[in-house]
Amino acid sequence: MAGFEISRRKVLAGSAFLLASTALPSIGWSQARKGGRLVVAADSEPRNLNPAIVASNGVFFVSSKVVEPLAEASFDGEDGLEPRLATSWEGSADGLSVTFKLREGVTWHDGQPFSSADVAFSALNVWKPLQNLGRVVFKNLEAVETPDAKTAVFKFSKPTPLQLIKNALPALTSVVPKHVYDGKDIAENPANNAPIGTGPFKFAEHKAGEYYRLERYDKYWGEGEPQLDEIIYRVLPDRAAAAGALEAEEIQLAAFSAVPLADLERISKVPGIKVITEGYEALTYQLVVEINHRRKELADLKVRQAIAHAIDKDFVVKTIFLGYAKPATGIVPQNDKQFYTPDVATYGFDVAKANALLDEAGYPKKDDGKRFALKLLPAPYFNETRQFGDYLRQALAAVGIDAEIVNNDSAAHQKAVYTEHAFDIAIAPPVFRGDPAISTTILVQSGIPDGVPFSNQGGYKNDELDALIAKAAETLDPAARIELYKQFQKKVAADLPLINVAEWGFITVARDTVKNVSNNPRWAVSNWADTYVET
Amino acid sequence: MSLSRLFRTPEAAAGLVILGLLVAMAVAAPWLFPRDPLAIAGQPLLPPFQDWALPLGTDRLGRDVVAGLFHGARTSLAVGLAAAAASILVGSIVGTVAGFAGGLVDEVLMRITDAFQTVPGFLLSLALVSVVGPSLSVVVAAIALSAWTGPTRIARAEVLSIRERDYVASARVIGMHPVEIAFREVLPNALPPVLALSSVIVAAAILTEAALSFLGLGDPNRVTWGGMIAEGRAVLRSAPYLSVIPGIALVLSVLGVYLAGEGVVEGTAAREGQA
Repeated sequence: MAGFEISRRKVLAGSAFLLASTALPSIGWSQARKGGRLVVAADSEPRNLNPAIVASNGVFFVSSKVVEPLAEASFDGEDGLEPRLATSWEGSADGLSVTFKLREGVTWHDGQPFSSADVAFSALNVWKPLQNLGRVVFKNLEAVETPDAKTAVFKFSKPTPLQLIKNALPALTSVVPKHVYDGKDIAENPANNAPIGTGPFKFAEHKAGEYYRLERYDKYWGEGEPQLDEIIYRVLPDRAAAAGALEAEEIQLAAFSAVPLADLERISKVPGIKVITEGYEALTYQLVVEINHRRKELADLKVRQAIAHAIDKDFVVKTIFLGYAKPATGIVPQNDKQFYTPDVATYGFDVAKANALLDEAGYPKKDDGKRFALKLLPAPYFNETRQFGDYLRQALAAVGIDAEIVNNDSAAHQKAVYTEHAFDIAIAPPVFRGDPAISTTILVQSGIPDGVPFSNQGGYKNDELDALIAKAAETLDPAARIELYKQFQKKVAADLPLINVAEWGFITVARDTVKNVSNNPRWAVSNWADTYVET
Repeated sequence: MSLSRLFRTPEAAAGLVILGLLVAMAVAAPWLFPRDPLAIAGQPLLPPFQDWALPLGTDRLGRDVVAGLFHGARTSLAVGLAAAAASILVGSIVGTVAGFAGGLVDEVLMRITDAFQTVPGFLLSLALVSVVGPSLSVVVAAIALSAWTGPTRIARAEVLSIRERDYVASARVIGMHPVEIAFREVLPNALPPVLALSSVIVAAAILTEAALSFLGLGDPNRVTWGGMIAEGRAVLRSAPYLSVIPGIALVLSVLGVYLAGEGVVEGTAAREGQA
C-alpha cells in the first residue's frame, strides 16, 4: 500500500510538472535577461550522455548544453569557428604541436575551477582511446603539456594538419572534468548519465520515457548568458506526435526533422509556427549505398556503375525528401566550402545504359527477366533511409537485379552490416563533419577492424586511395591538403567503392516565440546560450 | 447442409459475401495487377478518384493503392489461413494426446499450454519475429505459436468425454493400438468443435499480421495492409486516405471472416437441432 502511495504521488508530481512546463512560458520573466523555459521534442534517449565518448548528434542534442567543446562552428567566425573553452589555437611549423590558450574564469557545475589539466585528461584518456571519432583524428596524439593552468600544448608523434584539428574542434573536443573521472572506470562513470560540464546549463534530471531537464548555470562564463532558465526535452518517440505537440503548444521546438517532411508544408501555414532549414550546415547527412565487394558481381566496376545509373537521384530528392535535400555528386557534399569539387565522374539516370553495362559485365537477363539477386539492408534510423530502400529495390528491378529487402532494428542492422558483413548492398546515412579525415575517409579506407559503424566494411581495398588518404593525413599545407582531397573525390567517383545518392540537412520547426534559433551551422547540437523564449 | 441455410441470417449472408469478395480479390490479384504491387506506378500522393488508371490514388512513392489492396488481401488471407491451419493441427494433436493419454503426459502438456496462455499472444509473436527476422513463414509460425492453445484446450475437453464412449471401449477390446484409437476413432469425432474456432483464429491472425507489419515486422518484400497503414501514418494529416483505405479493408475482412464463421456454426447447430 505504501508503495502505491509513493508511486501515485510521483505520478501526480510528474504530471503536474509536465502541465506546468507547458503553462509557464506564458507567465513571463521580466529581468534583463530574457529567461523562460524552452520545451523541445526528443525522439530518443541515448544510453550514454557523455559527448566526449559518444560524439554523435543524438548525444550532443542534449549534452552539448552541459558539456562544452574547445570551439564551436560559426557562420562568420575566423576559420568558421567561434571560441568556447579555448580562446586561441596555434600550430607549430612542423605540425607536431598545437597550443591552445584556454578561457579564464570558467568553473565546472560542481564549483571546481576549469584548467588545462581537464583538457589534457580529456584528450589523452577519453578522446583518443574511447571516442568514436577521436580514435581516428587523435591517433598520433602523444602528450598534452600544461605549462600553466590556462595553456594546453598538444604533442603529436607525426605531423598533424592544423586544418584537421580546427575542423575537428566543434564535434570532437568536449571537455569533461578530470576530478570526476580520474582514477575510475571512465566508461562506467555515473557522470556519463548525468554529465557535469562547464556549459550554460546544468543537467538536472532524467525521467526515463518522459523528459530530460536542464537548469540554468548561474556562474556561466558568458556574459548575460544563458538567457533561458530551463530546457525540457520531452521524449516523443512517435514522429507524428511532434507536429501535434507543437500545434498544441506543448512543445516549442522540434529539431532534427522530428516533424515528418510530408507534414512541413501543412504546418508551415499554421500561424505562430515557423519552419527553419538553416542550422545544420556542418552536419550534412549523406544518403549512401554501401556495397559488399566480396560479392563477385559487385566487385565488377561495371555492375557498380550500372547500379549508379539505375538510381534516379532527382526522383529520390523530390519524392522521398520532398525537395529538402540535394542530389549528391560525390563523397564530399556540395555545401562544404573547403574541400568540395564538382569535377568528378557523374552517373546520370539512364536505365538503358545500366542494362548495357550489366550485359557487358557478363550478367545477361535470364528467362524470368532477372540477372542476379542481392540482399538489400536499409538502415532503420530514418524514414527516408527505409523509403529509399523501397525505391532502390524497384530501381534495381528495372535493370533486372532482384533485390530482397531485409529489415532489422538498429542494433541488428549494425551487427549485420558492420560486424558480420551479412549484406550485399546496404543503405547508410553517414555524416560529413567538415573535414574528410574525420568521418568520411574511413568509408572507403581499407584495414578497418570489424564492428566499426559507418566505415568500410564492404571488403573494398584500393591501394591508391589508401596511399592518398595516408598522405593527406600528414600534409600540413592547407592548399596541398585540399588538392589531395580533390583527387580523393575523383578517385572515389571513378571507382565507386560506394554510391552517394543525396545529401540533406535536417529541418527545425519552432514556435515564433523562440528566438535566436539556427544561428550557427551546428545549432541543434550547440549550447543554446543565447536562445530565449519571448513572452 | 444447404446454402440457403447458411444464408438464413443476414449477418451470415453479409459475412459470406465479404469473405467471397476477399477470396476473389486474392485470387484475381496476379491477373488484374500482374506488375509488382510495390512498383512505382505514377505520380506520388495522387488522391483517390482523380485518375482512372489509379482509381484509389498512389502512396508517397507513387505506388498504386488498389494493386496494394488486392495483393495485400492475398497476404492477409494466406497468413490467416496458414496460421489457423497450423494452430488447429498442432492444437488438436496436442489436445488429443493429452486427453487420451491422461496422467503425467496430460499434466505436462497442459502446463505447457498454460504457460503459453499466460503470455500475451501478441508479445510472443513480436518476440519471435524480432529474433528470427521478418518473413512470411516466420510471421505465420509466430501467430500459430500464440494461437494453438485454444484448439488444444477444446480438443482435450472433447477427447476426455469421447474416450469414455462405448465405441472407444470396443476398439480397445478388438485390440487396436492406443495411438490408432486416438487418431482414427477419437480425434475425428473431437474435431468439429475445434474447427468452429477456426474463424476466430483466422480473424485474429489477420489482425496480428497487420499489427506486426504496422510495427515494421512484416515481410518487407510483400504488400500488407498493416504495412500500408504504417506507411500512410507519416502523411496522416495531409493524405489520410492512405491509412483509411487499407484500414477499412482490414475491418471488413475481419468482420466478414468472423460473421461467415458464425453463420457456418449456427447453420450446423440448426441442422443438428432438426435432426
